Amino acid sequence: MSIEVPVKTAGMTQPDTAAPAKEAPHPVAMQVKGLNFYYGTSHALHDISLDFPERSVTGMIGPSGCGKSTLLRVLNRMYDLYPGQRATGEVIFDKQNILNSGVDLNVLRSRIGMVFQKPTPFPMSIYDNIAFGIRLHERVSRSEMDGRVEDALRRVALWPEVQDRLSASATALSGGQQQRLCIARTIAVRPEVILLDEPTSALDPVSTARIEELLDELKTEFTIAIVTHNMQQAARCADQVAFFYMGRLIEVDSTARMFTTPREQQTQDYITGRFG
Amino acid sequence: MKANNTLMRADRSASLLWRRHICDKLATGLSWLGMLIVVFMLGSILWTLFKNGLAGMSVHLFTMSMAAPGQPGGLANAIVGSLIQTGLAILIGAPAGLMTGIYLAEYGTTSRMARIVRFVSDMLLSAPSILIGLFIYMMLVVPFGHFSGLSGAVALAILAMPIVVRTTEDMLRLVPVAMREAGIALGAPKWRVILFICVRAVRAGIMTGVLLAVARVAGETAPLLFTSLGNSEWSLDLGRPMASLPVAIYQYAGSAYQDWMQQAWTGALLVTLGVLIINIVVRVGTRGGRS
Repeated sequence: MSIEVPVKTAGMTQPDTAAPAKEAPHPVAMQVKGLNFYYGTSHALHDISLDFPERSVTGMIGPSGCGKSTLLRVLNRMYDLYPGQRATGEVIFDKQNILNSGVDLNVLRSRIGMVFQKPTPFPMSIYDNIAFGIRLHERVSRSEMDGRVEDALRRVALWPEVQDRLSASATALSGGQQQRLCIARTIAVRPEVILLDEPTSALDPVSTARIEELLDELKTEFTIAIVTHNMQQAARCADQVAFFYMGRLIEVDSTARMFTTPREQQTQDYITGRFG
Repeated sequence: MKANNTLMRADRSASLLWRRHICDKLATGLSWLGMLIVVFMLGSILWTLFKNGLAGMSVHLFTMSMAAPGQPGGLANAIVGSLIQTGLAILIGAPAGLMTGIYLAEYGTTSRMARIVRFVSDMLLSAPSILIGLFIYMMLVVPFGHFSGLSGAVALAILAMPIVVRTTEDMLRLVPVAMREAGIALGAPKWRVILFICVRAVRAGIMTGVLLAVARVAGETAPLLFTSLGNSEWSLDLGRPMASLPVAIYQYAGSAYQDWMQQAWTGALLVTLGVLIINIVVRVGTRGGRS
């Protein structure tokens, strides 16, 4: 597999908003090959191989403990924080295996952003929450920073709600607003990939719907991987869906086929609610 | 009670409910009693201090230095000496304690080194303060051949440090893992996540620790007896003996002179009020920080 990662073209239209992903194959942004993962001696992921097509949403589903969040945390090397956790195999991103020890993790994480299950606003103002990430990687003037912060907040549709209180503490926002702030903070760094770990499981249905709408817009520019427990959410948001069970990737296919004609019995059982 | 009885189920005997009722009342009563004893003791101390100390409150107390019995004098040099030594102690002890606390919570965690540091720090927390005074006496007084305000401040700093270490470590451990990971996920290096996210998140709690340390060392007498000694003259020279309120109280209260004893009461009232104010500031400050 030797797919060139093309340079992003501004204003490029996505022809496949309604049609299944198969009709217009996207180049691969990130490719997992033969990945095994261990928590100490416990073998959590078995020989996973999975492609994440560029500028589309990959949904990862499966019962609790199946390894989907673990895989997500491999993709930005988050597991590196914890001694005893290790991965073998390959994760190819921008022609490099990011599991190599020489990879600059701070740069990697600026290119592969992550949004967590519970909103995690930093204990600072709304403005500084966004500016924090930008300042880590770029030197920008005050006026440019104002523009970047506004742009990020507009893209998550939070700007109208917070424009008058940018210097107020971010912890005073509602849960849904906080989560949108966290997404804004992630995209403000201008990553290429966004990993979302059950981003709506702590939110009410209205906030969830807003985040799902947001994903639809974000995928025109970013490659998105989302872990979700909510099968309807996967069906609504994802272009392709991967089903995990007991640390193995059981099946991956376009969303339409995954939910209508899955090949594997286990997938069928899970999506019809027979277990999990 | 009536409502409970009508809701009673046949399989729950009345005697069980009655026993629970008694236990509940007994436990509530005992905790009220404990609270009243503590409040009574505190009230009694404050009452005695106000009754005996208020009479000595005058402008002279804050403007004049200590004087011989029978001469007009105040506690100005002791008040300023206490402020200088306590302030300097916190300037030395708080940053050192903060950094040690960060090391224990974020870097050392369960390593051998961290366990040793944590053990030593907790030992210091409960070490008799007179031992700290003797230690600094050997380190900073004997080699230089004279008592000094600086050595007093260092002795107080050693007392303040473990308090800041403990609160900083405990507070940092309360920071949710998710908040740390969110910082790391943006590509922030670890030191930046600790300083700008974790420490920030618990700054109210760390401030509480620092102010509690101030309150603790402001009233210390024993470590100062061997270090800054006390001084009846007005002196701001850290290289020379320096007066402080606790030492002045110690000296005056043990004397046989009526005016000195009056000033000792008033000095004690001042120290207590200072500590009380710091505690109130801590309470009000942290409550504001959390909401």
